[in-house]
Amino acid sequence: MAIPHALRQHELAHAGQATGVWSWITTVDHKRIGILYGVTAFVFFLIGGIEALLIRLQLARPLNTVISAETFNSLFTMHGTTMVFLAIMPLNSVFFNYLVPLMIGARDVAFPRLNALSYWIFLLGGLFLNASFLVGTPPNAGWFGYANLTTRQFSPGPEIDFWMLSLQVLGASSIMAGVNFIVTILNMRAPGMTLMRMPLFVWMTLVTQFLIVLAFPPVTVALIYLMFDRFFGTHFFDVAAGGDLHLWQHLFWIFGHPEVYILILPAFGIVSEVLPTFSRKPLFGAQIMVYSGILIGFFGFSVWSHHMFAAGMGPVADAFFSIATMIIAIPTGVKIFNWLATMWGGTLRATVPFHFAAGLVGLFTIGGLSGVMHASPPVDLQQTDSYFVVAHFHYVLIGGSLFGILAGATYWWPKITGRLLDERLGRLGFWIIFAGFNLTFFPQHYLGAIGMPRRIYTYNPGPGWGFWNFWSTVGAFAIGFGVFLFAVNALLSLRYGAPAGADPWDGRTLEWRTSSPPPPHDFDEIPPVYGRDSFWRDKYGDDRGRKPVPRPAAPDPHGVHLPSPSHWPIVVALGLLVAAAGALTSLAVVLIGAAVLVAGAFAFALEHHRTPAHVRQDGVLGVDHRKLAMWIFLGSECFLFGTLIATYLAYKGRSVVGPHPHEILNLPITTLSTFDLLMSSLLMVLALAAVQRGDRFQSRLWLGGTALFGLIFLGFQAYEFTTFVHEGLTLQTNLFGSTFFVLTGFHGGHVTLGVLWLLTLLVLDLRGRLGVQDALKVEVAGLYWHFVDVVWIAIFTLVYLLP
Amino acid sequence: MRVALAAVVLLAGGCAWGGPMSTVVPASDFARSILGVYAIITWATALIGLTVFVALGYIPGALPRAAGRPPARQIRGHTVLELAWTIVPALVLLVIAVPTIQIIFRTQSQAAPPRGLAVQVRGWQWWWEFRYPDLDVVTANELHLPVGRTIVINLEGPDVIHSFWVPHLGGKRDVVPGRHNRIVLTPDRPGEHWGQCAEFCGASHANMGMRVIVQPAAEFDAWVARQKAAPAEPSGLAAEGKTIFAKSACVGCHTIEGVSAGMLGPNLTHFGGRTMLAAGMWPNTPDNVAAWVREPQRLKPGAKMPELGLTDAQANAVAAYLTGLK
Amino acid sequence: MSTPSTARGHPTTGEQKPEHASIRIYLIVAGILSAVTALEFGVIYVRRLAPVLIPLLLVLSAGKFALVVMFFMHLRYDSRVLTFLFVAPLVLATLLAIAVMTLTGEFLVFSR
Repeated sequence: MAIPHALRQHELAHAGQATGVWSWITTVDHKRIGILYGVTAFVFFLIGGIEALLIRLQLARPLNTVISAETFNSLFTMHGTTMVFLAIMPLNSVFFNYLVPLMIGARDVAFPRLNALSYWIFLLGGLFLNASFLVGTPPNAGWFGYANLTTRQFSPGPEIDFWMLSLQVLGASSIMAGVNFIVTILNMRAPGMTLMRMPLFVWMTLVTQFLIVLAFPPVTVALIYLMFDRFFGTHFFDVAAGGDLHLWQHLFWIFGHPEVYILILPAFGIVSEVLPTFSRKPLFGAQIMVYSGILIGFFGFSVWSHHMFAAGMGPVADAFFSIATMIIAIPTGVKIFNWLATMWGGTLRATVPFHFAAGLVGLFTIGGLSGVMHASPPVDLQQTDSYFVVAHFHYVLIGGSLFGILAGATYWWPKITGRLLDERLGRLGFWIIFAGFNLTFFPQHYLGAIGMPRRIYTYNPGPGWGFWNFWSTVGAFAIGFGVFLFAVNALLSLRYGAPAGADPWDGRTLEWRTSSPPPPHDFDEIPPVYGRDSFWRDKYGDDRGRKPVPRPAAPDPHGVHLPSPSHWPIVVALGLLVAAAGALTSLAVVLIGAAVLVAGAFAFALEHHRTPAHVRQDGVLGVDHRKLAMWIFLGSECFLFGTLIATYLAYKGRSVVGPHPHEILNLPITTLSTFDLLMSSLLMVLALAAVQRGDRFQSRLWLGGTALFGLIFLGFQAYEFTTFVHEGLTLQTNLFGSTFFVLTGFHGGHVTLGVLWLLTLLVLDLRGRLGVQDALKVEVAGLYWHFVDVVWIAIFTLVYLLP
Repeated sequence: MRVALAAVVLLAGGCAWGGPMSTVVPASDFARSILGVYAIITWATALIGLTVFVALGYIPGALPRAAGRPPARQIRGHTVLELAWTIVPALVLLVIAVPTIQIIFRTQSQAAPPRGLAVQVRGWQWWWEFRYPDLDVVTANELHLPVGRTIVINLEGPDVIHSFWVPHLGGKRDVVPGRHNRIVLTPDRPGEHWGQCAEFCGASHANMGMRVIVQPAAEFDAWVARQKAAPAEPSGLAAEGKTIFAKSACVGCHTIEGVSAGMLGPNLTHFGGRTMLAAGMWPNTPDNVAAWVREPQRLKPGAKMPELGLTDAQANAVAAYLTGLK
Repeated sequence: MSTPSTARGHPTTGEQKPEHASIRIYLIVAGILSAVTALEFGVIYVRRLAPVLIPLLLVLSAGKFALVVMFFMHLRYDSRVLTFLFVAPLVLATLLAIAVMTLTGEFLVFSR
């Protein structure tokens, strides 16, 4: 009998049972990390909420003077940035972390230390962003920071630097977590859990994680361009030098639109769990719900310019994105109807989670329909940048995402804490939030229709906006009160709540099988899975009342082992934070941070080099976790380099001054360096083959050779860069200089990292610590190396060869 | 017909839908085209919304019956139903899509109409510059247009992205440095319409309003003639104001025909004829102008106009001069 | 050349894929890559090919790209899931790159 993939041959640890601050700092347990995300995100949510209340206070009356213009502009910027990146996304992460392993019958995620690293980077990134308040320069150009308002010329201070650096740091956290969860879901499912038997929440999580790993690279590149413009004098968003301000908008919204699906799909997944449980009926059309989620995710990449209908892209582009946006409404609408059908004819129980889930169905319908209105460019030209769109996105983000989060929080609260929330207090809180929310935002549709623009710190009484602004403010405070009641309920429950059993709701999915809260190892035995809603089947049998014949639970021959705690995640995160802070202070600080980051990363990577349990990490798909992770990461890198290359080509020929490519690119030399890099790939596969057959001499020869050829490539590049500078082409000279050096420079940076990686493997090999059992590590390094090579093939053709 | 539908919806709403910035009281062909599509979409989405809410209304009714019943029939799906609620919304979307595409192409003409009146709009932090190249007129913050003529509004930078929005006259269009956007519209009745910048552009984005005065042809021509004529010689307090103006830093930023040629701020040659001051912030009265001239930075956050250190008397004189520039 | 880590690297489709590339295949691929690179360098100087230069270069480099991915990165011999996980983002990224170039006026066919 095959050994279940979820087993890990780790040393027995007491990690999950320890208490004390250090145990929380070094935890790698997905449940604890989920709780950390929850507490941190909730605090940021409160901060974002206070920012909103201050905004509403200022807008309650015309020509109000409670908040100054500058402060107001920072408030709406921070409110948006905080709620999107520091509240909603990490609150969703609570459920990804805590529930996904439980729901698929795993004991943790694929990379527990990487998981911890994601959390610490999130915490420190969020603190860094909010530190801007402490120095009096909070970001103030909106959460989507349109260039060229954000360039040094129009925003000279550090406000935008805080914003830009924080987002890059937070993006790294999200991408790491994305890779982690994709590998977990694909590779660590319990026996019998095929993809189509996975709970909908896990499916929506899977789609969300793909969106994250693919959508973040474009905005990372946009932020890099902005950073280079602001710090190093490049011209990406310099109109006089030929820069195109639409480029920022395209790159931002290519991220930004999938981002809103990242925010909403988990909520959809939660509703798809909650409604069936409290209707005592299966999810109606579960397969269609899976497919519609996949379609929404995929088509989410085709609609981004509907945020730009006023930008002047021309009628053809407007028409294309209009149709694409309408198309995406179809799978979204299907979900609404399937949820309604789930409830129809069900034995309904009006618990608090049910209230929030049903509330989402109604409120998201309103938000979705106002979205359909926005999908028509003529209509959108009146509605966009007004309070109408503010109403739209708050309906989908609060009525959708937040209500989903609250449904999940109240639903899984007993599982996570072992206690029940008070139902009456919960229902009261729900109705106050519901009423307050609608009072705040429904009238904003009207305000937009009578012409109130968004992002204005005050307004004249003339257009008649005062009345509903006042009541909108009242509603906002009601929301605040409702959230307060939720917090009170939570605290009371932790102190005095009735103990919850393992299955207080008569649930349908695997997490209800284990105790509340689960033991550190999640399940005493990995439960076998016989179909969708497998726990329900175990309890009640299938549709014909037949209970499944239990398969003997797979034995754990070595007992249950847990991943060991580690302090390296927080060290690496601290290094990253210090480096980011250094960008605002001095180069020395950047270098210190980078040193800590690099040293920490080395220690992190080598921490378990000799741990037997880490040698083989095969999964359900028959692929090692790490190999799967690398391929997913390379998919993400396709988006990174795709963006860099697209920008180079889009800006080609637009430099206002020379030198121009044909005047300066050295084709013969570059052809040689290309040949060198291609041959290095050959050496790499020879190295891997040598390691795999245990040939110590050849493994060292070819690993060293690959690294050497990599260094030669870097040498060619250094020669090229210095020659260009001598001939008058720098980052700052013109658009060509900016795009060329950033594109090839980042590629060179990737090569450098690759060389470091190879040299590390070589050193390990020279010290006799790279054996046949480590072949997979060499294989994964090889995948990275070859990818860097194929990116160069693309760059060589598109930059050097094309006329 | 479509506009009638819209009117029904609006009246049914019961709220006041008028107002100087309303998006649903059209005063041009552009605005009417938009409103037609707006009406169709509003009906279509209201229909879908109603369906969903009626279905949701089932819940409260279903609850009391739930107590004590065994688990419901475990229905997993119904292909016909699911197909139905995929296809029906798709058809509804088709109903929305067709007029949408038509109006997109109708309102975004590729070529400039040959007999249109060209207006060049430049968006500055935080005011609007208006030039009529064919008429050789330059003004700021108040745009005059003749009824019934096709207007071609060309939007040019030059600093950050702004958005030109006069809701009565139609949808908004961004002013993007480095790009040339255009709005083509024909105002169809006289009136005063308000506009405001609709893309966040910095500290005083909220204070970047404008007025658009649509006039019968004769009145428009008279206005043009006044704009092109030299302003009358001031006397008394206003003359003192002119002297102060000519000797102050004002001349570095503002143009007054025959007095100064500054290019960084609004053209003030016929400032007195405008109804509002500082891009729609206050009525153009001597008291308001005096207050503005004394402390622009306090009144308009971030304003590029510096404190000039004028005494009250000097400010009053300058205000008398400026408001006299009709 | 089978190894512990790759022995399980097969999809459950029952398809009979060869387990591993041999050194010989690697050397052949390396030879093709070198030859094509030299060819690309030469081709840009041949004036007769100027009208088809761009598609020709794109095809040649795509071929090199595919060879490295299929053989050096072992995708030809590995689970189909990995192929999907890499190729789908690659295709999507390429489409988006073309879209961005079009929308910023690179291909004047679609510009205003």
